[in-house]
Amino acid sequence: MTDNVDIIPHQDAIIRLENVSKRFGDLIVLDDVSMSFERGRTTAIIGPSGTGKSVLLKHLVGLLQPDSGHVWIGDVDMAVANEKLKYATRRRFGMLFQDGALFDSMSAGDNVAFPLLHHTTMSAEERRAKAEEKLALVELKGLYDRPTPALSGGQRKRVGLARAIIMEPEIVLFDEPNSGLDPLTSDTIDELIGKMKAALGITFIVITHDIVSAEAIADRVGMLWKGKLVAYQETSKFVHSTDPVVKRFLERNLGHRW
Amino acid sequence: MNTLLTLGQFGIFAGRVVRSSFTHKLPVARTIEEAYRIGVRSLPILLVISFFVGTNLALQGYVAFRPMGAQQMLGMFVGLAGVRELAPIMVAAMVSAKAGTEMASQIAVMRIREQIDALEVMAVDPYVYLVTPRFLGIVLVLPALTIISIATLIGSAWLVTVYQLGEPGGPFLALVWNTTSGTDLMVAGIKGGLFGSFICAVSCFCGFTSPPGPAGVGRATNAAVVISAVCCAILNYFVSEVAYG
Repeated sequence: MTDNVDIIPHQDAIIRLENVSKRFGDLIVLDDVSMSFERGRTTAIIGPSGTGKSVLLKHLVGLLQPDSGHVWIGDVDMAVANEKLKYATRRRFGMLFQDGALFDSMSAGDNVAFPLLHHTTMSAEERRAKAEEKLALVELKGLYDRPTPALSGGQRKRVGLARAIIMEPEIVLFDEPNSGLDPLTSDTIDELIGKMKAALGITFIVITHDIVSAEAIADRVGMLWKGKLVAYQETSKFVHSTDPVVKRFLERNLGHRW
Repeated sequence: MNTLLTLGQFGIFAGRVVRSSFTHKLPVARTIEEAYRIGVRSLPILLVISFFVGTNLALQGYVAFRPMGAQQMLGMFVGLAGVRELAPIMVAAMVSAKAGTEMASQIAVMRIREQIDALEVMAVDPYVYLVTPRFLGIVLVLPALTIISIATLIGSAWLVTVYQLGEPGGPFLALVWNTTSGTDLMVAGIKGGLFGSFICAVSCFCGFTSPPGPAGVGRATNAAVVISAVCCAILNYFVSEVAYG
């Protein structure tokens, strides 16, 4: 643990990682990572490509198992939980995947309503109404029947976001929400995340390599470097970090300010 | 070593499918959808192939039996070869090439586009959502397709026998009828169900374990059709051995 990694009290943490390590063959992807995510706040994890950000995210929802360590979601350790408990715990999450991970055979609205079909007894009309409400929240009102392949990159992300929040989860994960988007659309996504945070009070965890976006949306920023958590601080403190790795990353990405 | 590892992975995959299928509500609507997709969409091509396999069977049988003056045995030949062996394996090969490749490629694309991960995060079991309906659909439909194929094959062989080769149709049908029994149809149906379960399990497994990227989807699809066809051919021998050996 370095001076750049702040400790979050247990009572404020909704997710805790304890000494999580993961390797794929000879490649160490996560190396003894310990950190907590605060309830109701937005945390961004940044770092260059290939430093284990997405792998970290997949550990949170049990899509990957750590080689060692614990991933606590409340009092459930996803590292050792059985499938039934994992599925039950996953219902506390929503997740926006990099490309939206939408089903092309369905309309935009049916994608959004998909979790309702599987986890509620709502009628088709009720599901549609709720999905339309969430689509309006992500500024895609009236696009319920639009075929998914006809959506633009930004629209796919927003539909994915509407789907992620439709079950009103406690925690929403974002895997590179701005990747592949132009700067203006990126800003729109950031604004949406900010708007939803204010409206819904959800815990957001955002994986990104875009420090501008992280600064705009996050209360706290962590940085992964070669599988290690090298910094984890309040955003205002993080952007003025003196850690050489963080500084180099910031200079590269926020160069115009330096 | 790699083969053993893959077999182990396949065992785990099959175990998960079976366990998930028994611990979740059966997806009836999606099973019907899949049965329709596999059955009805495969039917036209199956009818065409069965028809022409029947015509060739009659022609080749005639060529083989005529020098011995035994062309009247054509019905027996068509009955034995067509009903017992050709129709089931032909349906399996066709369904493997059409529905099996579709299953493997669809699931592989879902894997690389993170849609299977998305299902898991949405707490929807991907084995139940993606595999169970396909499995039940194919197992329900393949026996029926096999019987339809048999009927088409015999019908087209009869047409060639009567209208092209000028042999009497009545004795032909009588020999088909006398040579084959209800047991033969039942064995053909069982073969269809078994082949269907293998095609589905292998194709879905190849899709789930697809290597990344478009090349990975291609490899998964290719592996699905090759392994399914080989498995069905081997299985065909053993079922025939048990039933008729």
